[in-house]
Amino acid sequence: MIEILETPPLNTMQDLGRVGYRQHGIGRGGVMDRLALAAGNALLGNEEGEAGLEFQLFPVRLRFTKETAFAVTGADCEARLSGRRLPAWWATRAEAGDELVLSSPRKEMRAYLTIAGGFDVPKVLGSRSTHARDSFGGYHGRALLAGDVLQSRAPEPFLFRDGAGVGATPAAEAVAAATCEDLAEGETVVRAIPAAEYQTFDEASRNALCRTPWKVTARSNRQGYALSGTPLRRNALLEMRSHAIVPGVIQVPPSGQPLIQLAEANSAGGYPKIGVVIEADLWRIGQLPPGGTLRFVWCSLAEARAAEEAAEAYLARLRRLAGYCRSAIA
Amino acid sequence: MSVNRDVTVLQEARVSFCGNTAVLLDAEGPLTLATQERIWRLSDTARQWEGVVDTQPGMNSLLVVVDPKTADLEALAARLGETWPAVPSGRIEGRLLEVGVVYGGEGGQDLPEVAAFHKCTPADVAKLHAAPEYTIFAPGVTAGFGYLFGMDPRLFTPRRQVPVMRALGGGVSIAGIQSNLGKPYVEGSAKAAPTGWYMIGRAPDVPSPFDFDKTPPNLVSLGDRIRFRVDRVEA
Repeated sequence: MIEILETPPLNTMQDLGRVGYRQHGIGRGGVMDRLALAAGNALLGNEEGEAGLEFQLFPVRLRFTKETAFAVTGADCEARLSGRRLPAWWATRAEAGDELVLSSPRKEMRAYLTIAGGFDVPKVLGSRSTHARDSFGGYHGRALLAGDVLQSRAPEPFLFRDGAGVGATPAAEAVAAATCEDLAEGETVVRAIPAAEYQTFDEASRNALCRTPWKVTARSNRQGYALSGTPLRRNALLEMRSHAIVPGVIQVPPSGQPLIQLAEANSAGGYPKIGVVIEADLWRIGQLPPGGTLRFVWCSLAEARAAEEAAEAYLARLRRLAGYCRSAIA
Repeated sequence: MSVNRDVTVLQEARVSFCGNTAVLLDAEGPLTLATQERIWRLSDTARQWEGVVDTQPGMNSLLVVVDPKTADLEALAARLGETWPAVPSGRIEGRLLEVGVVYGGEGGQDLPEVAAFHKCTPADVAKLHAAPEYTIFAPGVTAGFGYLFGMDPRLFTPRRQVPVMRALGGGVSIAGIQSNLGKPYVEGSAKAAPTGWYMIGRAPDVPSPFDFDKTPPNLVSLGDRIRFRVDRVEA
C-alpha cells in the first residue's frame, strides 16, 4: 500500500491508454511518456502497459505502508527513499514505513512511479488511465490528493539479486533522437509526417515549420501544447469539418500558432493539420516543459517504423537485463 | 465576424496519413446523410480488418487507427481507398430523442451575437434552430451526443477566430453548418472550456449520454436523431 502524503494538483494514474472506444468519442488518453512507463514496468517484471502514477508537478511525498518493489523513471527529478538518494531510472525495494520524496526535475517534465504487481484499481473501458475531463478511470476518476491510499495487486514474489536494485539507461540517452540543421543546445527534435492539409499552407509556412524553432508556451498540458513562433499561413482560409484526430497532430488555428494535441487530446477537432508527430517521438514532447524549444523534421513512414523498432529494441534489452537482475522466490 | 462560407469540398475522396498511427479518409462531395451512412458502414467494416485497433467517423470522414508496431500503413491506405467507392448506402432508422431548450440567457449568451450576424431576432434563430430533426453523424470531442447534422444552412455561422471560455453542461451551440448538444455537467469536472463555437442555448434536463452504470453505457448511437424544443427564449 502507498499513502500519498503530499502532492500538487494534476498528478494522475495512467497506463498506455484506452483503445477501441472512439465510436463513443473517447480518445486514447494515457501517459505522456510511454517509454518511461514501459521502462519502469520492465525493471519490475510487470506487463509493459501496467498503470503507474504520472507526476508532472512537484514536490511529491508518499509513504509505503508495506514492503514494495517500485521504480521511478522519466523526468530527471531527485528521488529520495527515506533520505537515501536513488539513481535515475531505478527500481528497488521499499520497506514498510519508507518515505519517497520526488523533487522538481531540472530539465524534464514528468516522472513515473510503477510498483511490482501494479495498482489495484478497476479497469474502466479496458484501461486504468484517469480520464480527467470526464472523471472516470484511474484512482476514482480524479487527480491524486494527499491522504489517498493506493493498494497494490500481489506481484509474483521476487528479490533483486543486488540488494540495491536495478537501473535502466534513461531513454533519452539510449534511444537516438533525430537531428536537424542549426540545432541549438537544449532543443528537442521530433519527427513528423505531413498531414491532409499540408498542401494548403503557403510554401514559406511549409518550410518554416521545420526550419524555425518553436517555443512551448505556458498554455501547455496533457491535452496539448500551444507553440509560439513564426506564424503559419494557409493559401485560403476555409472552414474545416469536424474530424477525428490523433495524439501528435500539429493543428494550425487561424492565429497561425500551432497546437500539438497530446495524450489527453479530444478525440475530434476542426483545425487544419499540417503534420503529425510520429508515435515514437511523442514522449520527447511529454518531457519538454513550458519555455522549452521544439524543432520539427519531416520523416517518411519507413523512418517512423525504424524509430518504433529502436524504441522497441531498447525496451526488449531492458526487459532482458532486468530479468537477469531479479530472482523469483518459490 | 468575418463571413466565410467556403468549406473544403473534395471532388474525389482522399486518403492521407495521420502520422504513423492512423489513416484518414476524407469523402468526396458535400456533407449528406447518404454519404455519412456509407462512412458508418465503412467504419464497422474497417474495424474488423487485421491490424486495425479502432475507427472513428468524422463529418464526411473516417479515421482508421492501427498499432504502429505492426501496421502496414501504405497497404491500409490503399485498401481504404479501394473499398470506399463500393461501400453501399442504406438507411439506419435511429431512435428519436426530444430535448427542451432555453435559448439565450445564461449559458446561451452568444444568441444575440448570432442573431445580429444573421440580421434577425434571437427568437428567429431559436425557431430556425429547433425546426429540423438532427442526426448524430459522428462522435464528438468526448463521450456525448456527437456531431449533429441537419441544421438549416441559413444559420451557417463561421467558427470564432479566437476561442472563448464557455460553461460546460447541457449547452446548445453552433459553428459552421454544425450544431452541438453538451452533456449534463459532471460534478468535479472542469466547469468551462475554450471553444470556437457559439452558445445559443441550454438544455436544463438533458439526459446523460454516457453512463458507466448502464449496459451499454451509451444512451445514443450514430444515426439516432435529436429534436430540439423551444421551451423559452430569454433576452
